[in-house]
Amino acid sequence: MAEASGKTLMDLISADPTPIPAKSSSSASASASASSTASPAAASAGSHLQQPMSTKTTLGEKKSKRATLTQIQNDTISVAKAALNPVKANIMPQRQRQKKKPVSYTQLARSIHELAATLDQKSSQKQLVNHVFPKLAVYNSVDPSLAPSLLMLNQQCEDRNVLRYVYYYLARILSDTGMSPGGGIPTPNWDALADIDAGGGVTRADVVPRIVNQLTSEASNSETEFHARRLQALKALTYSPSGNSELLSKLYEIVFGLLDKSKADVPVRCRSTDYVPCRFQVADVPNKRKKGVFGTKGGDKESIIRSNLQYAAMSALRRLPLDPGNPLFLHRAAQGVSFADPVAVRHSLEILSELAARDPYSVAMTLEKLASPAGALQDILHLNDVLARVALARLCHSISRARALDERPDIRSHFNSILYQLLLDPSERVLSDQHFIASFRTDERASGWYRLTREILKLPEAPSKDKSNKTKRPQPLIKLVMRRLESSFRSFSRPVLHAAARVVQEMGKSRAAAFAMGLQDIDESVHVNAFSDVLDDAETNDSSHPEGIRRTSSISAGPGRNETIASLLASLMEVVRTTVACECVYVRGMVVKALIWMQSPHESLDELKSIIASELSDPAWPAALVNDVLLTLHARFKATPDMAVILLEIARIFATKVPGKIDADVLQLLWKTCLIGAGPDGKHTALEAVTIVLDLPPPQPGSMSGLTSLDRVSASDPKSALALQKLVQAAVWFLGENANYAASEYAWESATPPGTALMMLDADKMVAAASSRNPTLAGALTRLQRCAFSGSWEVRIVAVQALTTIAIRSGEPFRLQIYEFLYTLAEGGVQSQLSEMHLSNGEDQGVSGTGLGVLITPMLKVLDEMYVGQDELIKDMRNHDNANKEWKDEELKKLYETHERLLDFVSLFCYIPKAKYLPLGPISAKLIDTYRTKHNITASSGSTDPTVLATGISDLIYESTQPAPAASNSSGLDDDLVNAWAANLGDDGLLGNNAPAMSRVNEFIAGVGTDAPDVDEENVFSRPSVGYDDMWAKTLLENNELEEDDARSGSSSPDSTGSVESSISSHFGGMNYPSLFSSKPSSQATAKSSGSKYQSTYEGYGSPIREEPPPPYSYSEPQSRESFENPMAESSSRSYGSDDDEPRKSTGTRFGTALYDFTAGGDDELNLTTEEELEIEYEVDGWFYVKKKRPGRDGKMAGLVPVLYVNQS
Amino acid sequence: MILAVLFANSVGNVLIERFNGVPAEERLTWRSFLVKLGAENLKGVKNEELLVACHKSVYIVYTMLGDVSIFLVGKDEYDELALAEAIFIITGAVKDICGKPPTERVFLDKYGRICLCLDEIVWNGLLENTDKDRIKRLIRLKPPSEF
Repeated sequence: MAEASGKTLMDLISADPTPIPAKSSSSASASASASSTASPAAASAGSHLQQPMSTKTTLGEKKSKRATLTQIQNDTISVAKAALNPVKANIMPQRQRQKKKPVSYTQLARSIHELAATLDQKSSQKQLVNHVFPKLAVYNSVDPSLAPSLLMLNQQCEDRNVLRYVYYYLARILSDTGMSPGGGIPTPNWDALADIDAGGGVTRADVVPRIVNQLTSEASNSETEFHARRLQALKALTYSPSGNSELLSKLYEIVFGLLDKSKADVPVRCRSTDYVPCRFQVADVPNKRKKGVFGTKGGDKESIIRSNLQYAAMSALRRLPLDPGNPLFLHRAAQGVSFADPVAVRHSLEILSELAARDPYSVAMTLEKLASPAGALQDILHLNDVLARVALARLCHSISRARALDERPDIRSHFNSILYQLLLDPSERVLSDQHFIASFRTDERASGWYRLTREILKLPEAPSKDKSNKTKRPQPLIKLVMRRLESSFRSFSRPVLHAAARVVQEMGKSRAAAFAMGLQDIDESVHVNAFSDVLDDAETNDSSHPEGIRRTSSISAGPGRNETIASLLASLMEVVRTTVACECVYVRGMVVKALIWMQSPHESLDELKSIIASELSDPAWPAALVNDVLLTLHARFKATPDMAVILLEIARIFATKVPGKIDADVLQLLWKTCLIGAGPDGKHTALEAVTIVLDLPPPQPGSMSGLTSLDRVSASDPKSALALQKLVQAAVWFLGENANYAASEYAWESATPPGTALMMLDADKMVAAASSRNPTLAGALTRLQRCAFSGSWEVRIVAVQALTTIAIRSGEPFRLQIYEFLYTLAEGGVQSQLSEMHLSNGEDQGVSGTGLGVLITPMLKVLDEMYVGQDELIKDMRNHDNANKEWKDEELKKLYETHERLLDFVSLFCYIPKAKYLPLGPISAKLIDTYRTKHNITASSGSTDPTVLATGISDLIYESTQPAPAASNSSGLDDDLVNAWAANLGDDGLLGNNAPAMSRVNEFIAGVGTDAPDVDEENVFSRPSVGYDDMWAKTLLENNELEEDDARSGSSSPDSTGSVESSISSHFGGMNYPSLFSSKPSSQATAKSSGSKYQSTYEGYGSPIREEPPPPYSYSEPQSRESFENPMAESSSRSYGSDDDEPRKSTGTRFGTALYDFTAGGDDELNLTTEEELEIEYEVDGWFYVKKKRPGRDGKMAGLVPVLYVNQS
Repeated sequence: MILAVLFANSVGNVLIERFNGVPAEERLTWRSFLVKLGAENLKGVKNEELLVACHKSVYIVYTMLGDVSIFLVGKDEYDELALAEAIFIITGAVKDICGKPPTERVFLDKYGRICLCLDEIVWNGLLENTDKDRIKRLIRLKPPSEF
């Protein structure tokens, strides 16, 4: 295939440009015969010249030495061909110059030089236009060494066609694309060929100043006859990279000069020039004379030339960087609105709309007169140019909703009325145009009707605008928009469909935002508004606010009418759904996204589910699109945390349907956010959604059945089977890391007194009891256990790791359960027990021989160690008790050392809060504390581990419980507290107060504040698996010292611990481990000072041992923050985590400047401009999350940038 | 911003490409993405039937004209509808120059003029001239409107 196209490309440069078909075939055969004489070289040349895309090689981006050599070779071959193949020369008709026949790049370049020198001959010009320049264009970049000849041509040639090409090439040399390819055949490396060429050795840096000089002088040439060339010269100049400030100021000068001159004549032509402020009139004075010279009558030609120049100037101005603060710039741009040239008007509007986005006030002031009913802006409504009208809509939109104009309603109303006219004159509009307008209108409506756009705009302003909307254009607007959208969904054009779906998506976003802000009431009343608007326009305005009244009235009047927004939406969505039938995947993708956004928490999602399920069965869906939809789910969830469950169900469809296409990271992100953000009730469901992935049957190679069922996996090829396995791995790992969080089961916060659980010696009963107590964790455990023996090898490893993590983190019955399981697994005995669930995938299911046992051993060892330590401790305690002895310092020291050693050991496997974690069991707490108090050891010294702090692990568990607390613990809590907390959560139906929870989740998800889980967690969670090698190494090292314990403790410890401990716990008089979660906090419900609460909690037990009092915690915003946070989580985190606060703050905010320009590669990345000042929030994986002082051109304020691009100050 | 204009032949060789505001290292990705998109979707598509795709916030509109496929990539104000507008103008101009939907051969023969046309239609990533006559005049170095 490369050969076929190669021929045509080769033909182009070696044959005549306008061959008769017959001749072209013969020339092709001629060249074919020629190439057969020198086939190897030609073939290699051919293959080099076209580089098919499939190999992903860049055309000409790499000008390798080899390519150069080939080119030289090729040149010589062409010469040889010419000499050896006279037939071919004869075939070529109308040869102007015989020696130009073999056309290679060298020849082309050479002939340009020669022809430039013999310009006086007409034939030369013809030659240039017909042969040389078109052929040169095929090369993907323009060689700077051609510049001298081009400039010479530019100066001397009169022929317009030649000149046009010359401008084209000069512009390409000036632009960056002079260096990078523009498609076609790669330009040979000119440096290597320099000796062949007469003007060789010229670099771009040499010629650019010359080109710029010549072009600027041309652009300033005011001769009438020259003005077409001025246009082109100016145009070519704008191609030069904008970094050159000298050139830039020159350009501004030229452009403003042109506009100055052109304005002189404006009064003659345009009625609305009087808007220009006086100072510009002054500037016009010299030009008045000129006007006199030509006279108003002779003006036709004159004004056309002027309009041409205006066009050129405005187009150039559009390409120049915006100069927002500069009134001159603004006025020049505003001038353009009344120009005669439509393109100039469009550019002017585009500039203005961009300016208006930044500074609506001054733009509005400048355009005040133009916007008035007889102003120039009105004329644009009748302009044929769609883009101009779009720009106008944009402009009006940004002005009309600008806050700065609040005190000038008159101006705003002008713009509003234009906007409505734009929207309301469908007669002349093409369908697509309606969409443009509709999309902007939707935005605007979103802020008006739904009081919000995506950016959570200006809540206070919205009502006023809403009102003004209604007075001017009552409800039909929304009907109109809906109708248009519907009609556009019936279009055949895919772009239109896509755009319409996008508009619906935007609407969904606005709606979701409105819901999320707790404006359901208002939203409902909006439905009603529309309804009553139909009924009676006048009434609407007075009563748009008292929702309560209106709602009741509307409900009574409701049935019988179908003009509510809800019904409009319903019919719209119906059309949207049918659009799913479009054959274009991207349109369908957009429709699905729109549906996801329009899905409200209260509606049934069956339809959406089945749509998505059937959609995903289509193999045409590209992976990127699928992931995009997943990210949409994620965004949707951020907007409405209530929907976590629904969204997870949808995500599950993705996981089951197209495991091969989705990115495990994206899915994990979704899970994680949903898990964290989901309410207390949602946690279980959220985790369930993850475990469902594990329940998937292993893919059966080659089976394509089950496409219709939701839970069947369609992993028909090895690749997607592998991907599915990755997915399962991810799910297993996720479970291991988060099960404890989801179940709010932590060893160090256990709700169950350890003794009672262990009294039940029957393992089955114990497990049953535990599952009834905490079904979430139990469910996760069951699934992980299943994975540990029936998955593929990789999955099993991860599952075992996950189990260990849970074992370490969980309280007693679970730990024991896992311990037993792992132990049996290591022995290889589980298989028989659980074999009914076993599905063979051809691998050895047991652990024998495959090394899983070896893997498990270190994990078992940790648990063994812990149990042995607990045994010892209990023995010692009993001894002391029986003998009625005090604990001696050495004994305590030994105990403490064991404690620390175990802590270190355990930390190798997973993160645990060292300050709080008690590997020796809850009963060791007192003794450890005693020792610590005696020796002044800070409890949390362990967590100052730099890696832990740097990655923010220490924040993670506790900080993340704060935004979305585990309410399963609330059973033991003061009722007031629970209520206060629940009210903040907004889960109990207090709709009015929903916003805090929402913003908290948003903040949390967006990574604002110190929690920054979005990014950090990736890091955090990956640590255990990264550290696996270390752990491995360490266990190998420690093998010797542990060996002696090994044999015995494995079997003995669980039971013996249980029995001993039970007696001990009774002996201790039911003194519980002082868990803050199980404890009943004392009376202060609002918990103003958690410190004191903590104290009182502790003293309530009459404990003789006092833990170090927590350092005074400074409340920066005591009331507000406190009310948002779970008082329970707070107290616990304060008590042990207080030390972490310090380093977290110091790593908090730093400042820096951008070293280089950076272009964002993704949605979460941020564009940077050199020297920009930044606020560094945190670092993750070589990226900084930074905030800008003000939004960049793209409007983004914060995002990720590479660390190396930022200079930290 | 119109990020890219790309012409490719039926087997995926890039004939013309113009990138605007796309870093050099991303161009390769875009190029192969577009060509792959064309290879997957443009089989049997009628002349000038518009196809659409999007990748994150970037829109792609592409079509087939004779043997040549044309891709436009845009973002921000150049959404799928604006791109559809632009591609309509481009296909119109190409047809005018070639006289009919071009074969690859004809396209390459008219390569120079097509480049000039494109230069007038898309200028620095922004849609410039949309009017056929105007484009025709401008590529002959005549002023956009005659007196």
